[in-house]
Amino acid sequence: MFESASFVLFAVTLPFASLLLALRSGLQRAYCYSLPVLPLPALMIALLSDPGWLLSLPGLLHGGLWGMDDLRRAFLLLTAMLWLAAGVFALGYMKGYLKADNLRRFCVFWALTLAGNLGLTIAEDIASFYGFFALMTFAAYGLVVHEGTDEANRAGRVYLVMAVGGEMAILAGLLMAAQLAGSDLLADLPATIAGAEQRGLIMLLLLAGFGVKAGLPLLHFWLPLAHPVAPTPASAVLSGAMIKAGLLGWLVTLPFGEVSLPGWGDLLVIVGAVGSLGGAVLGLRQQQPKTVLAYSSISQMGFITLMVGAALASADVVVTLFAVMALFALHHGLAKGSLFLATAMTLPRSRIGQWLMWLLVALPGLSLAGLPFTSGAVAKLAMKEVLKPDHFAFAAAPYLPALMSAGAVATMLLVWRFLWLQRAVGKIGRNPVAMWVGWGLSLAGSLILFWYLPWHGAVPEKTWPTAITGEAWSLIWPILMATLMAAVAPRSVRQR
Amino acid sequence: MSLASLLPVFALMTSLLAAVIIFTLPERSFRLRTLVNLGAAVIKLVLVGVMIWGIVQGRAYEVAFTMVPGVRFVLRADALSMLFAGLSALLWLLTTIYAVGYLEGSPNRSRFFGFFSLSVASTMGIALAGNLFTFFLFYEMLTLSTYPLVVHRGTPKALRAGRSYIIYTLCGGAVLLLAIAWLHGLVGDLSFRPGGYFAEVEDALRGPLSLIFVLLVAGLGVKAALVPLHGWLPQAMVAPAPVSALLHAVAVVKAGAFGIVRVVLEIYGLDAASDLGLLAGLAGVAAFTIIYGSARALYQVDLKRLLAFSTVSQVSYIILGLCLFGPVGVAGGLVHLVHQGIMKITLFFCAGNYAETLGVHRIDELDGAGERMPATSVAFTLGAFGMIGVPPLAGFTTKWIMGTGALAVGMDWVVVVLVVSSLLNAAYFLPILHRIWFGERQAAWPQERRWGRLETSAWLLWPALITAVLLILAGLLANLPVSPLSWVELIVAREVAL
Repeated sequence: MFESASFVLFAVTLPFASLLLALRSGLQRAYCYSLPVLPLPALMIALLSDPGWLLSLPGLLHGGLWGMDDLRRAFLLLTAMLWLAAGVFALGYMKGYLKADNLRRFCVFWALTLAGNLGLTIAEDIASFYGFFALMTFAAYGLVVHEGTDEANRAGRVYLVMAVGGEMAILAGLLMAAQLAGSDLLADLPATIAGAEQRGLIMLLLLAGFGVKAGLPLLHFWLPLAHPVAPTPASAVLSGAMIKAGLLGWLVTLPFGEVSLPGWGDLLVIVGAVGSLGGAVLGLRQQQPKTVLAYSSISQMGFITLMVGAALASADVVVTLFAVMALFALHHGLAKGSLFLATAMTLPRSRIGQWLMWLLVALPGLSLAGLPFTSGAVAKLAMKEVLKPDHFAFAAAPYLPALMSAGAVATMLLVWRFLWLQRAVGKIGRNPVAMWVGWGLSLAGSLILFWYLPWHGAVPEKTWPTAITGEAWSLIWPILMATLMAAVAPRSVRQR
Repeated sequence: MSLASLLPVFALMTSLLAAVIIFTLPERSFRLRTLVNLGAAVIKLVLVGVMIWGIVQGRAYEVAFTMVPGVRFVLRADALSMLFAGLSALLWLLTTIYAVGYLEGSPNRSRFFGFFSLSVASTMGIALAGNLFTFFLFYEMLTLSTYPLVVHRGTPKALRAGRSYIIYTLCGGAVLLLAIAWLHGLVGDLSFRPGGYFAEVEDALRGPLSLIFVLLVAGLGVKAALVPLHGWLPQAMVAPAPVSALLHAVAVVKAGAFGIVRVVLEIYGLDAASDLGLLAGLAGVAAFTIIYGSARALYQVDLKRLLAFSTVSQVSYIILGLCLFGPVGVAGGLVHLVHQGIMKITLFFCAGNYAETLGVHRIDELDGAGERMPATSVAFTLGAFGMIGVPPLAGFTTKWIMGTGALAVGMDWVVVVLVVSSLLNAAYFLPILHRIWFGERQAAWPQERRWGRLETSAWLLWPALITAVLLILAGLLANLPVSPLSWVELIVAREVAL
């Protein structure tokens, strides 16, 4: 039933329909309470429907086609889950932190951004994909500048300039590809681009256009400005879910599996390495916990860029790599969302309570670094399994394992930096119930749900608990090393 | 001659009659005047609807008689004329509603609405004209009937703008007449016909025909606001908002663009025009106008003036589409005739609402307008995003079709023009939207008026909301058989694809 046309249409139009609640100021409370409901139908579709359904909407735009395959299912799951957790969290956050007179506006932009983010995940025709993507881009501006401070407006301006530039690059790339393909469907683009005379230009446009969202180095400037200034629940979805829309854009348009392009592979591995390590280095120098998290997102997207590069370089590992990338995206999205939400939580009064709280705050961070038996461990091991240099023939391939190890250390260092800064600003006080529930949902999603999720068949077959036990040392040493560095570094700096 | 074949005449007469009646009505008879205005608009919309239905069925409506030997007066409803007639009939109804709300209470209403109806009658004539001569008659009638509207306020500024308008358009008309007369002398009376007349041109005629084309486009380009003939348009924005809406979206600039469409498609023919190398030149002018208009819009402080420069830019999309000499490009250009009309009329309605309700004319006075007038601001936002070309709005459909049309014929540079123009559109519209929704209101509104529960008068609000919904539907449901795009595809199938 969940893949029936009427239910899918209901799931997509629900956020739009919610705008009716904005018509009367008397309905404002009702609107706030509806926010967590908006992504629920989409979550049901992701969890309960079998991938492979298609919904044809011939009258829509230039002929609409929506559907869900294994890849989109992972993205839909992440998106809906994170928006749900953040929506619940927002209920409490709005009461405590946002000015009451702007709540209605916040709800409207929230619903529109959500609609775009969910819609683009299941769109399989070019026009509706691009339409939902643009909706998300422009509506998210309302979330970024919501606070109305000079800082927020400045961040919003940078965001908008880069986002519009990105939109235009995407438009040009899609136009060229669609014209050559003579088709309005995304599925026809990769093969067309692979054989196109202007392949290089089209790929560059799409890589750069979607790269703005994905925080590719040099296209990332807006990200550490905009993610932190947004209200906390919005930061969580910006950094957890929306950043992945850029990745999905790459995955559904670029010529994966059609040709092997070692040159592009090398380029993207370099870009990814710069992103993952450079993002970490810049992040360590930040003074705000949320900014550190934003740089950590750039760094993690760098890892995914490595995999994108590898997948472009060798057509025959694409299926596996796609599954691993989806896994990684899901893992990072939920963990990062949880970390962002944690920044607004206050600490309990009791000592033990505080220790427990810190442990829970830190767990998704440790998961990012690959702590055994977390989602990060699975994602890391799966990535390692696929990125073995002997699977690849392009020039940068031999450096992949070293890059991954260095990246793991860098990730953990950033987590320490975040915890250190968060401790300095952490306050003692009570949290609204909704914030506890929202944060708890994201935490549970990050730590527990992962084990029960429907996985893509192509993820390397393993019994993960055994695999993790076997590889425990390789997972733990980067964490220990980073911890050691984190313990020593501040002292050596201070002594100088 | 059956009654049905007279439908074009009836469509024309409804607004002519309305004009005559309104001129004779006393100033204070608000109800009767409004009744005549709206009644005529509704009847015309129905008549146009009937003709559209008939044309879908394959019927044709034509009325023709000879005025002087060799010169015939032809009114004909074909698919192309219905594109323009349908647009103007629909938007006339909405603009009339809006104008009633905007102007009732101010002096000289009978004069205003009389000329208003006359100019719509002229527009209808332009749409239905079956040959160049008939076209020219109504084209000049439009000039004369819109002049009193531009100077309606009677202020020195308005009179100055009116003078500039009348000089520009009369000179344009003179050039047009010269070109039509020359063409008539050369080849005789030419009714518009799909494919045009000059598929095979004798070498001796190539030179004169090219020159005539340049003159025709120059004459028509004044109204279409092709750079450098656009000077009157930004000045004419001193006119009342409904007049600006009419000028920019339906009547004047569209008349020019529509004339160029007729000349290119149905006098010269696409192939001949591109053979003579005329389309390449026209494409260059159109592309330059698109960029120039957007670039000038960036520097405006007055909202309506900004919209005027935006019109300069957007109308040339229609002309650029023609120059992509392929069915897809032509479809993109023609559909923009409708799309630009709907989007721009929405924006002008909203600008008028801000001015009438809050006294806001300048962009920097708009801070916080979204909170005070949410419905108007939503409509304005949709119009602005439509102009930028964000899907699923009407502007995106245009841009996407023109882009694919250009690439299909190897004119990749057009995509660059489209992208640059979109960037510029974003650069001047997005800061306005930021002010409207996120700007903080410091001072009181310049001149605020209250209308009970609604944010502004219902007469002003509903037309803007209706056109805003239309501009979503035109893009969102572009593939449905009732969309402007589907109608344009029918035109292209019947008239252009050879």
